[in-house]
Amino acid sequence: MDLLDIRNLTIEMDGPHGRVRVLDKVSLQLKEGEVHSLVGESGSGKSLLAKAVIGVLNPLWDVTADRLWWNGKDLLAMTPKQRRAITGRDMAMIFQDPLAYLDPNSTVAEQITEAIPAGDVTGTFMHRRIDRKTRVAQLLHRVGIRDHDAIMQSYPYELSEGVAQKVSIAIAIAHRPKLLIADEPTTAMEPSTKDQIQRLLGKLAVSQNMSVLLITQDVASILPATQRVSLLYCGQMMEHGDTETILNRPAHPYTDAMIKMSLQAHAELDPKSKLPSLPGAVPTLRHMPIGCRLGPRCPYAQKQCVKAPLVRHREEQSYYCHFPLNEPES
Amino acid sequence: MSHLLEAVDLFKTFRPRRAWPWSKKSVALEPTSFTLEAGQTLAIMGETGSGKSTLSKIIAGVEAPTGGELYLNGQKLNYAQSKRRCQNIRMVFQDSDKSLNQQLTVGQQLEEPLLFNRDMPSSERKQLINSTLRKVGLLAEHAAFYPHMLSTGQKQRVAIARAIILDPQIVVADEALVALDPSVRAQIINLMLDLQKDMGISYIIVTHSPQIVKHIADKILILYRGKMIAFNETERLLTEKQQPYIEALLHEHLTNHSQITGNSSAKVTE
Repeated sequence: MDLLDIRNLTIEMDGPHGRVRVLDKVSLQLKEGEVHSLVGESGSGKSLLAKAVIGVLNPLWDVTADRLWWNGKDLLAMTPKQRRAITGRDMAMIFQDPLAYLDPNSTVAEQITEAIPAGDVTGTFMHRRIDRKTRVAQLLHRVGIRDHDAIMQSYPYELSEGVAQKVSIAIAIAHRPKLLIADEPTTAMEPSTKDQIQRLLGKLAVSQNMSVLLITQDVASILPATQRVSLLYCGQMMEHGDTETILNRPAHPYTDAMIKMSLQAHAELDPKSKLPSLPGAVPTLRHMPIGCRLGPRCPYAQKQCVKAPLVRHREEQSYYCHFPLNEPES
Repeated sequence: MSHLLEAVDLFKTFRPRRAWPWSKKSVALEPTSFTLEAGQTLAIMGETGSGKSTLSKIIAGVEAPTGGELYLNGQKLNYAQSKRRCQNIRMVFQDSDKSLNQQLTVGQQLEEPLLFNRDMPSSERKQLINSTLRKVGLLAEHAAFYPHMLSTGQKQRVAIARAIILDPQIVVADEALVALDPSVRAQIINLMLDLQKDMGISYIIVTHSPQIVKHIADKILILYRGKMIAFNETERLLTEKQQPYIEALLHEHLTNHSQITGNSSAKVTE
Protein backbone atom coordinates (compact mmCIF):
# COMPACT_ATOMS: atom_id res chain seq x y z
CA MET A 1 0.00 0.00 0.00
CA ASP A 2 1.18 3.50 -0.72
CA LEU A 3 2.19 5.66 2.20
CA LEU A 4 0.72 8.75 0.62
CA ASP A 5 -1.93 8.42 -2.05
CA ILE A 6 -3.19 11.58 -3.74
CA ARG A 7 -5.71 11.34 -6.56
CA ASN A 8 -7.05 14.36 -8.41
CA LEU A 9 -6.25 16.92 -5.76
CA THR A 10 -7.80 20.27 -6.67
CA ILE A 11 -7.34 23.51 -4.77
CA GLU A 12 -9.45 26.53 -5.61
CA MET A 13 -9.16 29.98 -4.14
CA ASP A 14 -11.15 33.17 -4.43
CA GLY A 15 -8.87 35.88 -5.68
CA PRO A 16 -9.78 39.50 -6.26
CA HIS A 17 -10.53 38.59 -9.88
CA GLY A 18 -12.73 35.57 -9.33
CA ARG A 19 -12.20 31.93 -8.62
CA VAL A 20 -8.81 30.45 -9.55
CA ARG A 21 -7.81 26.83 -9.74
CA VAL A 22 -4.28 26.82 -8.36
CA LEU A 23 -3.92 23.05 -8.38
CA ASP A 24 -5.77 21.17 -11.09
CA LYS A 25 -6.30 17.43 -10.60
CA VAL A 26 -2.86 16.47 -9.38
CA SER A 27 -2.16 12.86 -8.53
CA LEU A 28 0.86 11.56 -6.67
CA GLN A 29 1.70 8.27 -5.03
CA LEU A 30 4.50 7.85 -2.54
CA LYS A 31 5.70 4.48 -1.30
CA GLU A 32 7.39 3.88 2.01
CA GLY A 33 11.11 4.62 1.93
CA GLU A 34 10.88 6.15 -1.52
CA VAL A 35 12.63 9.34 -2.60
CA HIS A 36 10.35 11.36 -4.82
CA SER A 37 11.26 14.61 -6.54
CA LEU A 38 8.68 17.21 -7.44
CA VAL A 39 10.02 19.57 -10.08
CA GLY A 40 8.40 22.80 -11.21
CA GLU A 41 9.13 26.46 -11.82
CA SER A 42 7.98 29.09 -9.37
CA GLY A 43 4.22 29.47 -9.32
CA SER A 44 3.62 25.87 -10.33
CA GLY A 45 1.94 24.98 -7.05
CA LYS A 46 4.53 22.54 -5.79
CA SER A 47 4.70 24.16 -2.36
CA LEU A 48 0.89 24.24 -2.26
CA LEU A 49 0.83 20.49 -2.75
CA ALA A 50 3.20 20.05 0.19
CA LYS A 51 1.11 22.39 2.31
CA ALA A 52 -2.05 20.49 1.40
CA VAL A 53 -0.43 17.28 2.62
CA ILE A 54 0.71 18.89 5.87
CA GLY A 55 -2.67 20.60 6.21
CA VAL A 56 -1.63 24.19 6.71
CA LEU A 57 -3.52 25.76 3.83
CA ASN A 58 -5.76 28.76 4.27
CA PRO A 59 -9.10 27.32 5.54
CA LEU A 60 -11.02 29.54 3.12
CA TRP A 61 -9.61 27.71 0.11
CA ASP A 62 -11.45 24.74 -1.30
CA VAL A 63 -9.47 21.53 -1.13
CA THR A 64 -11.13 18.64 -2.88
CA ALA A 65 -9.69 15.31 -3.84
CA ASP A 66 -10.85 11.88 -4.92
CA ARG A 67 -8.33 10.60 -2.48
CA LEU A 68 -5.95 12.13 0.02
CA TRP A 69 -4.93 9.06 1.93
CA TRP A 70 -2.21 8.60 4.47
CA ASN A 71 -1.52 4.94 5.13
CA GLY A 72 -5.05 4.05 4.06
CA LYS A 73 -6.71 6.73 6.18
CA ASP A 74 -8.54 9.61 4.57
CA LEU A 75 -6.92 12.87 5.66
CA LEU A 76 -9.75 15.06 4.38
CA ALA A 77 -12.46 13.25 6.37
CA MET A 78 -10.64 13.67 9.69
CA THR A 79 -11.29 16.26 12.33
CA PRO A 80 -8.50 18.84 12.60
CA LYS A 81 -7.36 17.29 15.89
CA GLN A 82 -6.96 13.80 14.45
CA ARG A 83 -5.18 15.26 11.46
CA ARG A 84 -2.76 17.25 13.61
CA ALA A 85 -1.93 14.10 15.55
CA ILE A 86 -0.93 12.30 12.34
CA THR A 87 0.91 15.27 10.89
CA GLY A 88 2.84 15.87 14.09
CA ARG A 89 3.83 12.25 14.50
CA ASP A 90 4.58 11.11 10.98
CA MET A 91 5.53 14.13 8.89
CA ALA A 92 8.26 16.74 8.98
CA MET A 93 9.27 19.55 6.71
CA ILE A 94 12.43 21.52 6.00
CA PHE A 95 12.59 24.82 4.17
CA GLN A 96 14.71 26.79 1.77
CA ASP A 97 16.18 29.29 4.22
CA PRO A 98 17.29 27.54 7.41
CA LEU A 99 18.36 30.76 9.06
CA ALA A 100 14.84 32.12 8.79
CA TYR A 101 13.40 28.87 10.10
CA LEU A 102 15.59 28.53 13.21
CA ASP A 103 14.83 30.58 16.28
CA PRO A 104 17.48 33.30 16.61
CA ASN A 105 16.98 33.58 20.36
CA SER A 106 17.84 30.06 21.46
CA THR A 107 20.80 27.77 20.98
CA VAL A 108 20.84 24.81 18.63
CA ALA A 109 20.69 22.38 21.57
CA GLU A 110 17.54 23.99 22.98
CA GLN A 111 15.82 23.87 19.62
CA ILE A 112 16.60 20.23 18.95
CA THR A 113 15.63 19.26 22.52
CA GLU A 114 12.21 20.77 21.96
CA ALA A 115 11.65 18.48 19.01
CA ILE A 116 12.47 15.25 20.88
CA PRO A 117 9.17 13.54 21.84
CA ALA A 118 8.45 13.48 25.58
CA GLY A 119 7.87 9.72 25.59
CA ASP A 120 11.38 8.99 24.38
CA VAL A 121 13.13 9.88 27.62
CA THR A 122 12.25 8.34 30.98
CA GLY A 123 13.57 8.21 34.54
CA THR A 124 14.26 10.90 37.07
CA PHE A 125 14.66 14.53 36.20
CA MET A 126 18.45 14.26 35.92
CA HIS A 127 18.23 11.07 33.85
CA ARG A 128 15.89 12.73 31.43
CA ARG A 129 18.19 15.72 31.18
CA ILE A 130 21.22 13.62 30.39
CA ASP A 131 19.26 11.42 28.00
CA ARG A 132 18.06 14.41 26.08
CA LYS A 133 21.57 15.74 25.77
CA THR A 134 22.90 12.49 24.38
CA ARG A 135 19.96 12.29 21.99
CA VAL A 136 20.78 15.75 20.67
CA ALA A 137 24.41 14.76 20.13
CA GLN A 138 23.29 11.58 18.36
CA LEU A 139 20.99 13.52 16.07
CA LEU A 140 23.76 15.95 15.19
CA HIS A 141 26.08 13.06 14.37
CA ARG A 142 23.39 11.50 12.24
CA VAL A 143 23.21 14.60 10.05
CA GLY A 144 26.98 14.69 9.68
CA ILE A 145 28.04 17.26 12.27
CA ARG A 146 30.99 15.92 14.18
CA ASP A 147 31.94 18.59 16.70
CA HIS A 148 28.57 18.52 18.40
CA ASP A 149 29.75 20.35 21.55
CA ALA A 150 30.56 23.55 19.70
CA ILE A 151 27.48 23.45 17.50
CA MET A 152 25.07 22.68 20.36
CA GLN A 153 26.02 25.85 22.16
CA SER A 154 25.99 28.15 19.17
CA TYR A 155 23.17 30.39 18.05
CA PRO A 156 21.88 30.22 14.46
CA TYR A 157 23.67 33.38 13.36
CA GLU A 158 27.00 31.70 14.10
CA LEU A 159 26.33 28.81 11.74
CA SER A 160 27.15 28.68 8.06
CA GLU A 161 24.36 27.98 5.58
CA GLY A 162 25.08 24.28 5.18
CA VAL A 163 25.36 23.59 8.89
CA ALA A 164 22.15 25.50 9.60
CA GLN A 165 20.37 23.37 7.02
CA LYS A 166 21.79 20.24 8.67
CA VAL A 167 20.50 21.43 12.05
CA SER A 168 17.06 21.97 10.58
CA ILE A 169 17.20 18.42 9.19
CA ALA A 170 18.19 17.17 12.66
CA ILE A 171 15.13 18.90 14.12
CA ALA A 172 12.96 17.38 11.41
CA ILE A 173 14.12 13.80 12.02
CA ALA A 174 14.08 14.07 15.84
CA HIS A 175 10.70 12.34 16.09
CA ARG A 176 11.46 9.72 13.41
CA PRO A 177 8.92 10.84 10.81
CA LYS A 178 7.79 8.58 8.01
CA LEU A 179 7.73 11.40 5.50
CA LEU A 180 10.16 14.28 5.17
CA ILE A 181 9.07 17.09 2.88
CA ALA A 182 12.05 19.13 1.73
CA ASP A 183 10.88 22.39 0.21
CA GLU A 184 13.73 23.59 -2.01
CA PRO A 185 16.42 22.76 0.57
CA THR A 186 19.35 23.48 -1.72
CA THR A 187 18.24 26.36 -3.94
CA ALA A 188 20.61 29.34 -3.71
CA MET A 189 23.32 27.25 -2.03
CA GLU A 190 26.79 26.93 -3.42
CA PRO A 191 27.64 23.66 -5.16
CA SER A 192 29.76 22.09 -2.41
CA THR A 193 27.17 22.64 0.32
CA LYS A 194 24.40 21.60 -2.04
CA ASP A 195 26.17 18.34 -2.70
CA GLN A 196 26.57 17.61 1.02
CA ILE A 197 22.91 18.25 1.83
CA GLN A 198 21.75 16.15 -1.12
CA ARG A 199 23.89 13.18 -0.14
CA LEU A 200 22.74 13.53 3.45
CA LEU A 201 19.07 13.42 2.46
CA GLY A 202 19.64 10.39 0.27
CA LYS A 203 21.49 8.60 3.07
CA LEU A 204 18.83 9.41 5.66
CA ALA A 205 16.08 8.06 3.43
CA VAL A 206 17.84 4.70 3.40
CA SER A 207 19.04 4.55 7.00
CA GLN A 208 15.80 5.80 8.60
CA ASN A 209 13.47 4.12 6.11
CA MET A 210 11.94 7.51 5.57
CA SER A 211 10.16 8.74 2.46
CA VAL A 212 11.45 12.01 1.12
CA LEU A 213 9.39 14.35 -1.02
CA LEU A 214 11.93 16.72 -2.50
CA ILE A 215 10.65 19.91 -4.07
CA THR A 216 13.01 21.62 -6.53
CA GLN A 217 13.00 24.15 -9.35
CA ASP A 218 15.55 22.51 -11.55
CA VAL A 219 15.88 19.01 -12.96
CA ALA A 220 19.62 19.28 -12.30
CA SER A 221 19.19 19.48 -8.54
CA ILE A 222 17.09 16.39 -7.90
CA LEU A 223 18.65 13.94 -5.49
CA PRO A 224 20.93 11.27 -6.92
CA ALA A 225 18.91 8.73 -4.93
CA THR A 226 15.59 9.82 -6.46
CA GLN A 227 13.50 6.90 -7.64
CA ARG A 228 10.58 8.80 -9.10
CA VAL A 229 10.08 12.29 -10.52
CA SER A 230 6.96 14.38 -11.02
CA LEU A 231 6.81 17.58 -13.04
CA LEU A 232 4.30 20.29 -12.26
CA TYR A 233 3.51 23.34 -14.36
CA CYS A 234 0.98 26.01 -13.36
CA GLY A 235 -0.86 23.63 -11.08
CA GLN A 236 -1.14 20.83 -13.58
CA MET A 237 0.77 17.58 -13.47
CA MET A 238 2.78 17.19 -16.65
CA GLU A 239 4.53 13.89 -16.28
CA HIS A 240 5.53 11.47 -13.58
CA GLY A 241 7.39 8.23 -13.43
CA ASP A 242 10.67 6.47 -13.01
CA THR A 243 13.69 8.84 -12.91
CA GLU A 244 15.81 6.97 -15.45
CA THR A 245 13.04 6.73 -18.01
CA ILE A 246 11.94 10.33 -17.61
CA LEU A 247 15.42 11.78 -17.89
CA ASN A 248 16.35 9.62 -20.88
CA ARG A 249 13.09 9.46 -22.81
CA PRO A 250 10.78 12.29 -21.75
CA ALA A 251 7.29 12.07 -23.22
CA HIS A 252 6.06 15.55 -22.38
CA PRO A 253 7.44 18.63 -24.18
CA TYR A 254 7.75 20.42 -20.84
CA THR A 255 9.97 17.68 -19.40
CA ASP A 256 12.05 17.80 -22.53
CA ALA A 257 12.46 21.57 -22.23
CA MET A 258 13.30 21.37 -18.52
CA ILE A 259 16.04 18.84 -19.20
CA LYS A 260 17.46 20.97 -22.00
CA MET A 261 17.35 24.09 -19.82
CA SER A 262 19.05 22.49 -16.82
CA LEU A 263 22.53 23.61 -15.85
CA GLN A 264 24.12 20.29 -16.76
CA ALA A 265 22.93 20.64 -20.34
CA HIS A 266 24.44 24.13 -20.58
CA ALA A 267 27.90 22.78 -19.97
CA GLU A 268 27.75 20.63 -23.09
CA LEU A 269 26.85 23.47 -25.46
CA ASP A 270 29.38 25.66 -27.24
CA PRO A 271 30.41 28.68 -25.20
CA LYS A 272 28.38 31.81 -26.00
CA SER A 273 25.87 29.94 -28.14
CA LYS A 274 22.13 30.46 -27.73
CA LEU A 275 20.59 28.47 -24.90
CA PRO A 276 17.37 26.58 -25.56
CA SER A 277 14.44 28.04 -23.64
CA LEU A 278 10.68 28.07 -23.59
CA PRO A 279 9.34 31.34 -25.01
CA GLY A 280 7.28 33.66 -22.82
CA ALA A 281 6.77 33.56 -19.07
CA VAL A 282 4.76 31.56 -16.56
CA PRO A 283 1.17 32.89 -16.78
CA THR A 284 -0.23 34.72 -13.78
CA LEU A 285 -3.22 33.46 -11.81
CA ARG A 286 -5.49 35.96 -13.56
CA HIS A 287 -4.68 34.73 -17.03
CA MET A 288 -4.55 30.96 -16.81
CA PRO A 289 -4.83 29.37 -20.26
CA ILE A 290 -7.64 26.88 -20.73
CA GLY A 291 -6.92 23.24 -21.39
CA CYS A 292 -3.31 22.25 -21.15
CA ARG A 293 -1.74 25.22 -19.41
CA LEU A 294 1.57 24.78 -21.20
CA GLY A 295 -0.27 25.39 -24.49
CA PRO A 296 0.77 29.00 -25.28
CA ARG A 297 4.45 28.24 -24.62
CA CYS A 298 4.59 24.76 -26.11
CA PRO A 299 6.41 24.36 -29.43
CA TYR A 300 4.28 21.34 -30.38
CA ALA A 301 0.85 22.74 -29.44
CA GLN A 302 -2.06 22.19 -31.80
CA LYS A 303 -5.81 22.68 -31.77
CA GLN A 304 -6.53 19.78 -29.43
CA CYS A 305 -4.48 21.38 -26.67
CA VAL A 306 -7.37 23.62 -25.57
CA LYS A 307 -8.80 20.44 -24.05
CA ALA A 308 -6.96 19.24 -20.98
CA PRO A 309 -5.41 15.89 -21.85
CA LEU A 310 -6.18 12.79 -19.82
CA VAL A 311 -3.47 10.70 -18.30
CA ARG A 312 -1.71 8.24 -20.59
CA HIS A 313 0.70 5.53 -19.62
CA ARG A 314 3.81 4.19 -21.25
CA GLU A 315 5.81 1.54 -19.46
CA GLU A 316 7.32 3.27 -16.41
CA GLN A 317 5.92 6.75 -16.97
CA SER A 318 2.59 8.56 -17.09
CA TYR A 319 2.08 11.81 -18.95
CA TYR A 320 -0.61 14.33 -19.74
CA CYS A 321 -0.10 15.30 -23.36
CA HIS A 322 -1.83 14.87 -26.72
CA PHE A 323 1.41 14.82 -28.67
CA PRO A 324 4.06 12.91 -26.73
CA LEU A 325 7.71 12.85 -27.76
CA ASN A 326 10.05 9.89 -28.03
CA GLU A 327 7.34 7.39 -28.95
CA PRO A 328 8.73 3.86 -29.13
CA GLU A 329 8.86 2.48 -32.66
CA SER A 330 6.28 -0.21 -33.13
CA MET B 1 47.04 49.78 -25.89
CA SER B 2 45.50 50.08 -22.49
CA HIS B 3 43.08 47.63 -21.00
CA LEU B 4 39.44 48.50 -20.47
CA LEU B 5 39.67 47.84 -16.76
CA GLU B 6 42.82 47.17 -14.84
CA ALA B 7 43.03 46.51 -11.14
CA VAL B 8 46.36 46.81 -9.40
CA ASP B 9 46.68 45.35 -5.91
CA LEU B 10 43.13 46.10 -4.83
CA PHE B 11 42.59 45.06 -1.25
CA LYS B 12 40.09 45.53 1.53
CA THR B 13 40.31 45.05 5.29
CA PHE B 14 37.68 45.40 7.95
CA ARG B 15 37.93 46.13 11.64
CA PRO B 16 36.65 42.95 13.31
CA ARG B 17 33.73 43.04 15.69
CA ARG B 18 34.45 43.82 19.33
CA ALA B 19 37.98 44.96 18.61
CA TRP B 20 40.06 47.96 19.49
CA PRO B 21 40.87 50.39 16.69
CA TRP B 22 44.53 49.40 16.90
CA SER B 23 44.00 45.65 16.90
CA LYS B 24 44.62 43.48 13.86
CA LYS B 25 42.30 43.91 10.90
CA SER B 26 40.47 41.04 9.29
CA VAL B 27 41.17 40.73 5.60
CA ALA B 28 38.25 40.46 3.19
CA LEU B 29 40.35 40.71 0.05
CA GLU B 30 44.09 40.32 -0.32
CA PRO B 31 45.90 42.37 -3.00
CA THR B 32 44.32 41.37 -6.29
CA SER B 33 45.32 42.40 -9.81
CA PHE B 34 43.51 41.60 -13.00
CA THR B 35 42.66 43.06 -16.39
CA LEU B 36 39.53 43.07 -18.51
CA GLU B 37 39.31 43.77 -22.24
CA ALA B 38 36.41 45.38 -24.09
CA GLY B 39 33.64 42.99 -25.07
CA GLN B 40 34.86 40.21 -22.83
CA THR B 41 33.31 38.52 -19.83
CA LEU B 42 35.09 38.00 -16.54
CA ALA B 43 33.66 35.52 -14.06
CA ILE B 44 34.54 35.75 -10.40
CA MET B 45 34.13 32.42 -8.64
CA GLY B 46 34.56 31.26 -5.09
CA GLU B 47 32.84 29.85 -2.05
CA THR B 48 30.76 31.85 0.39
CA GLY B 49 32.98 34.29 2.25
CA SER B 50 35.76 34.18 -0.32
CA GLY B 51 35.47 37.90 -1.00
CA LYS B 52 33.88 37.72 -4.43
CA SER B 53 31.05 40.04 -3.51
CA THR B 54 33.50 42.45 -1.88
CA LEU B 55 35.53 42.58 -5.07
CA SER B 56 32.48 43.23 -7.22
CA LYS B 57 31.31 45.94 -4.82
CA ILE B 58 34.70 47.64 -4.98
CA ILE B 59 34.59 47.61 -8.76
CA ALA B 60 31.06 49.00 -8.82
CA GLY B 61 31.96 51.67 -6.29
CA VAL B 62 29.62 50.53 -3.53
CA GLU B 63 32.55 50.16 -1.15
CA ALA B 64 35.88 51.94 -1.01
CA PRO B 65 38.99 49.80 -1.31
CA THR B 66 41.50 50.06 1.55
CA GLY B 67 44.29 50.27 -0.98
CA GLY B 68 45.22 49.64 -4.58
CA GLU B 69 44.24 51.28 -7.82
CA LEU B 70 41.64 50.80 -10.48
CA TYR B 71 42.25 52.03 -14.03
CA LEU B 72 39.44 52.52 -16.52
CA ASN B 73 40.63 52.97 -20.12
CA GLY B 74 44.09 53.65 -18.77
CA GLN B 75 42.98 56.50 -16.51
CA LYS B 76 42.92 56.14 -12.78
CA LEU B 77 39.46 55.78 -11.28
CA ASN B 78 39.18 57.00 -7.71
CA TYR B 79 36.49 55.93 -5.29
CA ALA B 80 35.03 59.44 -5.17
CA GLN B 81 34.69 59.78 -8.96
CA SER B 82 31.15 58.51 -8.87
CA LYS B 83 30.05 60.51 -11.90
CA ARG B 84 32.54 58.88 -14.21
CA ARG B 85 32.15 55.51 -12.56
CA CYS B 86 28.38 55.30 -12.77
CA GLN B 87 28.38 56.19 -16.46
CA ASN B 88 30.79 53.42 -17.29
CA ILE B 89 30.28 50.71 -14.67
CA ARG B 90 26.73 49.65 -13.80
CA MET B 91 25.49 46.90 -11.53
CA VAL B 92 22.68 44.32 -11.69
CA PHE B 93 21.62 42.72 -8.42
CA GLN B 94 20.46 39.28 -7.40
CA ASP B 95 16.96 40.14 -6.30
CA SER B 96 15.27 42.32 -8.91
CA ASP B 97 12.26 42.53 -6.58
CA LYS B 98 14.26 44.43 -4.02
CA SER B 99 16.50 46.41 -6.35
CA LEU B 100 13.61 48.01 -8.23
CA ASN B 101 11.65 50.81 -6.61
CA GLN B 102 8.09 49.64 -6.09
CA GLN B 103 6.74 53.20 -5.97
CA LEU B 104 7.90 54.28 -9.42
CA THR B 105 6.85 53.07 -12.84
CA VAL B 106 9.38 51.32 -15.02
CA GLY B 107 9.65 54.43 -17.20
CA GLN B 108 10.40 56.67 -14.21
CA GLN B 109 13.06 54.29 -12.97
CA LEU B 110 14.76 54.20 -16.32
CA GLU B 111 14.55 57.99 -16.55
CA GLU B 112 16.41 58.55 -13.28
CA PRO B 113 19.94 57.75 -14.48
CA LEU B 114 19.32 59.95 -17.54
CA LEU B 115 18.18 62.88 -15.38
CA PHE B 116 21.32 62.72 -13.28
CA ASN B 117 23.87 61.95 -15.98
CA ARG B 118 22.68 63.23 -19.32
CA ASP B 119 21.58 66.65 -20.48
CA MET B 120 18.78 65.81 -22.87
CA PRO B 121 15.22 67.07 -23.41
CA SER B 122 12.35 64.95 -22.19
CA SER B 123 11.26 63.85 -25.67
CA GLU B 124 14.71 62.37 -26.31
CA ARG B 125 14.69 60.70 -22.92
CA LYS B 126 11.35 59.06 -23.78
CA GLN B 127 12.73 57.83 -27.07
CA LEU B 128 15.82 56.39 -25.44
CA ILE B 129 13.70 54.62 -22.81
CA ASN B 130 11.51 53.12 -25.54
CA SER B 131 14.43 51.85 -27.54
CA THR B 132 16.17 50.44 -24.45
CA LEU B 133 13.02 48.59 -23.40
CA ARG B 134 12.79 47.09 -26.87
CA LYS B 135 16.45 46.10 -26.71
CA VAL B 136 15.85 43.95 -23.64
CA GLY B 137 12.80 42.29 -25.14
CA LEU B 138 10.03 44.33 -23.56
CA LEU B 139 7.49 46.63 -25.18
CA ALA B 140 7.40 50.44 -25.09
CA GLU B 141 4.09 50.16 -23.19
CA HIS B 142 5.90 48.54 -20.27
CA ALA B 143 7.19 51.99 -19.31
CA ALA B 144 3.84 52.73 -17.68
CA PHE B 145 3.87 49.53 -15.59
CA TYR B 146 4.77 49.29 -11.93
CA PRO B 147 7.21 46.52 -10.96
CA HIS B 148 4.55 44.43 -9.21
CA MET B 149 2.69 44.06 -12.50
CA LEU B 150 5.64 42.28 -14.11
CA SER B 151 6.85 38.71 -13.78
CA THR B 152 10.25 37.81 -12.33
CA GLY B 153 11.88 37.51 -15.71
CA GLN B 154 10.50 40.82 -16.89
CA LYS B 155 11.70 42.50 -13.69
CA GLN B 156 15.19 41.16 -14.29
CA ARG B 157 14.96 42.54 -17.82
CA VAL B 158 14.04 45.96 -16.44
CA ALA B 159 17.03 45.78 -14.10
CA ILE B 160 19.26 45.05 -17.08
CA ALA B 161 17.63 47.88 -19.04
CA ARG B 162 18.42 50.25 -16.18
CA ALA B 163 22.01 49.08 -16.27
CA ILE B 164 22.51 49.52 -20.03
CA ILE B 165 20.54 52.75 -20.58
CA LEU B 166 23.64 54.92 -20.08
CA ASP B 167 25.53 52.84 -22.65
CA PRO B 168 28.11 51.64 -20.10
CA GLN B 169 31.30 49.77 -20.86
CA ILE B 170 31.07 47.34 -17.95
CA VAL B 171 28.09 45.68 -16.28
CA VAL B 172 28.68 43.97 -12.94
CA ALA B 173 26.18 41.19 -12.24
CA ASP B 174 26.32 39.99 -8.64
CA GLU B 175 24.62 36.56 -8.52
CA ALA B 176 22.03 37.88 -10.96
CA LEU B 177 21.33 34.46 -12.44
CA VAL B 178 21.11 31.97 -9.59
CA ALA B 179 17.69 32.60 -8.12
CA LEU B 180 15.82 32.48 -11.45
CA ASP B 181 13.67 29.73 -12.86
CA PRO B 182 15.37 27.55 -15.49
CA SER B 183 13.45 28.93 -18.48
CA VAL B 184 13.85 32.54 -17.33
CA ARG B 185 17.53 31.99 -16.60
CA ALA B 186 18.15 30.69 -20.10
CA GLN B 187 16.27 33.67 -21.57
CA ILE B 188 18.28 36.17 -19.50
CA ILE B 189 21.60 34.55 -20.43
CA ASN B 190 20.60 34.72 -24.10
CA LEU B 191 19.69 38.38 -23.67
CA MET B 192 23.00 39.19 -22.01
CA LEU B 193 24.94 37.48 -24.79
CA ASP B 194 22.94 39.34 -27.44
CA LEU B 195 23.58 42.67 -25.77
CA GLN B 196 27.27 41.88 -25.57
CA LYS B 197 27.35 41.19 -29.28
CA ASP B 198 25.38 44.34 -30.20
CA MET B 199 26.78 46.90 -27.80
CA GLY B 200 30.18 45.47 -26.93
CA ILE B 201 29.53 45.48 -23.20
CA SER B 202 31.96 43.73 -20.87
CA TYR B 203 30.45 41.73 -18.05
CA ILE B 204 31.84 40.96 -14.65
CA ILE B 205 29.80 38.06 -13.38
CA VAL B 206 29.89 36.85 -9.80
CA THR B 207 28.58 33.33 -9.46
CA HIS B 208 29.28 29.94 -7.99
CA SER B 209 27.75 27.93 -10.78
CA PRO B 210 30.51 26.44 -12.96
CA GLN B 211 28.13 25.54 -15.80
CA ILE B 212 27.06 29.15 -16.37
CA VAL B 213 30.68 30.29 -16.14
CA LYS B 214 31.79 27.77 -18.73
CA HIS B 215 29.11 29.00 -21.05
CA ILE B 216 29.58 32.75 -20.93
CA ALA B 217 32.97 33.64 -19.46
CA ASP B 218 36.14 34.47 -21.38
CA LYS B 219 38.25 34.72 -18.27
CA ILE B 220 37.85 33.26 -14.80
CA LEU B 221 39.12 34.68 -11.54
CA ILE B 222 38.99 32.32 -8.58
CA LEU B 223 39.12 33.57 -5.02
CA TYR B 224 39.74 31.48 -1.95
CA ARG B 225 39.45 33.15 1.44
CA GLY B 226 40.12 36.55 -0.06
CA LYS B 227 43.16 35.41 -2.00
CA MET B 228 43.24 35.20 -5.77
CA ILE B 229 44.39 31.69 -6.60
CA ALA B 230 43.75 31.65 -10.31
CA PHE B 231 43.22 34.14 -13.09
CA ASN B 232 43.26 32.83 -16.61
CA GLU B 233 41.32 32.24 -19.77
CA THR B 234 38.44 29.79 -19.44
CA GLU B 235 39.80 27.44 -22.10
CA ARG B 236 43.16 27.15 -20.42
CA LEU B 237 41.75 26.75 -16.93
CA LEU B 238 39.50 23.96 -18.12
CA THR B 239 41.97 22.07 -20.25
CA GLU B 240 45.26 22.41 -18.40
CA LYS B 241 46.09 20.66 -15.16
CA GLN B 242 45.23 22.75 -12.13
CA GLN B 243 45.38 22.63 -8.39
CA PRO B 244 42.94 20.10 -6.94
CA TYR B 245 40.83 22.85 -5.37
CA ILE B 246 40.37 24.67 -8.68
CA GLU B 247 39.56 21.45 -10.49
CA ALA B 248 36.99 20.61 -7.87
CA LEU B 249 35.41 24.05 -8.06
CA LEU B 250 35.24 24.00 -11.85
CA HIS B 251 34.00 20.46 -12.12
CA GLU B 252 31.74 20.59 -9.11
CA HIS B 253 33.03 17.58 -7.28
CA LEU B 254 33.90 19.67 -4.27
CA THR B 255 32.90 17.80 -1.15
CA ASN B 256 33.52 18.12 2.55
CA HIS B 257 35.69 21.10 2.00
CA SER B 258 34.04 23.86 3.92
CA GLN B 259 32.99 21.98 7.01
CA ILE B 260 31.92 23.94 10.02
CA THR B 261 33.45 27.37 9.81
CA GLY B 262 31.28 30.15 11.09
CA ASN B 263 32.59 32.83 8.77
CA SER B 264 35.45 31.66 6.66
CA SER B 265 36.32 35.18 5.56
CA ALA B 266 37.44 36.44 8.97
CA LYS B 267 41.16 35.85 8.93
CA VAL B 268 43.58 37.85 11.01
CA THR B 269 46.75 39.19 9.46
CA GLU B 270 50.19 38.69 10.86
